[in-house]
Amino acid sequence: MEQGDALTEAPRASGTVTLTNLAKRYGATRALDGVSLAVAPGEFFTLLGPSGCGKTTTLRSVAGFVTPDAGDVAINGTVVTRVPPHLRHVGMVFQHYALFPHRTVAQNVGFGLRMQRVDKAEIARRVAEAVALVQLPGYGGRYPGQLSGGEQQRVALARALVTRPAVLLLDEPLGALDKKLRDHIKIELKRLQREVGITTIYVTHDQEEALTMSDRIAVMHRGRVEQVAAPRGLYETPATAFVASFIGNINLLAGRAAGSNTVDCGSATLAATGAAPAGAAVAVALRPERVRLDPTGAVDTVLAMTVAHVVYQGETVRYILKSDAGLELQALELGEVRFTAGARVRAGWAAADAQIIQEGIA
Amino acid sequence: MTRGARVLLLGPYVLLLAVFFTVPLLLMLAISLSRQSFGQLEWTLTPQHYIHFFTDAYYLGVLADTLWLGAITTVVSLLLGYPLAYHLALTRSRWKPLLIVFILSPLLVGIVIRCYGWMILLADRGLINATLVQHGWLTTPLPLMYNKFGVTVALVHVFLPFMVLSLTGVLKRIEPQLIEASQTLGASPRRAFFEVTLPLSLPGILAGSLLVFSLAISSFVVPILVGGFKVHVLPMVVYEQMLSVFDWPFGAANAFVLLLISVALIAVYIKVTERALRGIV
Ligand SMILES: Nc1ncnc2c1ncn2[C@@H]1O[C@H](COP(=O)(O)OP(=O)(O)O)[C@@H](O)[C@H]1O
Ligand SMILES: [Mg+2]
Repeated sequence: MEQGDALTEAPRASGTVTLTNLAKRYGATRALDGVSLAVAPGEFFTLLGPSGCGKTTTLRSVAGFVTPDAGDVAINGTVVTRVPPHLRHVGMVFQHYALFPHRTVAQNVGFGLRMQRVDKAEIARRVAEAVALVQLPGYGGRYPGQLSGGEQQRVALARALVTRPAVLLLDEPLGALDKKLRDHIKIELKRLQREVGITTIYVTHDQEEALTMSDRIAVMHRGRVEQVAAPRGLYETPATAFVASFIGNINLLAGRAAGSNTVDCGSATLAATGAAPAGAAVAVALRPERVRLDPTGAVDTVLAMTVAHVVYQGETVRYILKSDAGLELQALELGEVRFTAGARVRAGWAAADAQIIQEGIA
Repeated sequence: MTRGARVLLLGPYVLLLAVFFTVPLLLMLAISLSRQSFGQLEWTLTPQHYIHFFTDAYYLGVLADTLWLGAITTVVSLLLGYPLAYHLALTRSRWKPLLIVFILSPLLVGIVIRCYGWMILLADRGLINATLVQHGWLTTPLPLMYNKFGVTVALVHVFLPFMVLSLTGVLKRIEPQLIEASQTLGASPRRAFFEVTLPLSLPGILAGSLLVFSLAISSFVVPILVGGFKVHVLPMVVYEQMLSVFDWPFGAANAFVLLLISVALIAVYIKVTERALRGIV
């Protein structure tokens, strides 16, 4: 197969990344267990999952630092699985930025261009442009040790972007920053990515980061991709129990599929959306904020329950409810406390707000 | 701990340094500036012994040889030690502790024994020459000993550990991500070494080189045993003047020249590192 040739040509501003059945083992650990993904040109694509689920290994396979045991990596349609990192033409931002401490900001940013033997005047011009892009004009002569964490982060970004790589890879780039700066840089990063239009693969274990920045998110668990979806789809229609519980807070009510859009959980019959073979073990996934207490409008399921706990959270109030048969449910409401512990309430929801989940039910 | 207690605890060492280092040093400086007649020291302030040293071709030759031996020992140690240190810094092998023991092994053997070891190998009838001659590959033995070559070999052998340890410490602290970053930016592994690893290991190169050079120019036993009085170095001259000729002022002046060279080197080292390390530390 043709490998790498296309990458040494003048790079395109944005590219595709395709992973096919990637597998990687470290001893007994399956770091990657059949990962397949297709990232579209210009897309902000996020790998989300708990620590140790294989996000970094996936990203490093794209960069070329991990050679998978099986499967292929293609960038811009060219298979690069066995192409060394320096010929892949990817931009990468490391968690601790990995700026060269013995070089100035300008030398750091210009490094990639120098490797490409771009002439000096052109390097100077493009470095100035990149430094301006990340809003650090006048910082060219400083050393990384003289910059704050946020500034270092931006230099790392400029350095990765200045060579116009096919794809930008970021491994938990906000992990080392404090919360306030993180929120600021999150917006900044997204703006920059749109402006440059570069295909981006972003790794994080922080669901909020993933939800606010991504075009699409792949949720990973134990070396596998559980679901790929846009943020809203992931939140509203989780495909597996793992995704449902990893993203936000959710009620998972175990039961057996009974006909279309109904689940029998023993003590009650629940309405939900989704199909499953009759009798299959399933769960109903229901966001707490979709549960309506003493509903006035139309609902598809109503359960008589008792308020077990009331958790006052300022902006919101969380109710822990129990049915007489032992079913537990959380409900979330905005505004004032309407019920106190021990009160009897009717909890209801629309079938469209509850999802039948078949995958990953214990 | 309070500041007072801290300073108090420095006391014993400061005292030790004062009594056994500073005072003798000052005494030696005084002796090097004194005059000696009929075995009696006259406390003067004469530069005559220094003038003697720097105007006599023999002593200048010894000085040049001493510096040359120091330089060549340093360069060879660096060239041999760098790959060793690089491997030591990166390896995750379980044999690593054993490798460290091997590297330190020259320091675990007494200096005289070590030198006799080299004599057994390098002498005209030593293992190497005997083998070569016996097999008819050579008719006359190679001059491996009683010359600068032999002395250099023996010096490199004993000072290599200092170079390796200085380098390993620095190489181990270089973030692997820096090398990866340079690779994603288009540097081949070889280029990454020269652009990132080598410049970042400069502090170790300088520290190791300085250490080896200072140790090499002040070594005494190795040049005597392996050089067999055919290789003359400054420490030997000091010894001769002090203990054979009994010209203490001149011996002291020689010792001071050696000391000043070391001090000057350290000064240069500090200046150079300050420049080279901008940003690194
Ligand atoms: N170089 C390695 N050697 C051994 N195990 C590794 C190595 N890299 C990753 N792993 C293991 O593979 C799994 C996935 O790791 P990683 O991709 O770093 O996870 P994540 O980035 O999602 O936290 C983890 O169990 C980790 O311990
Ligand atoms: Mg990781």
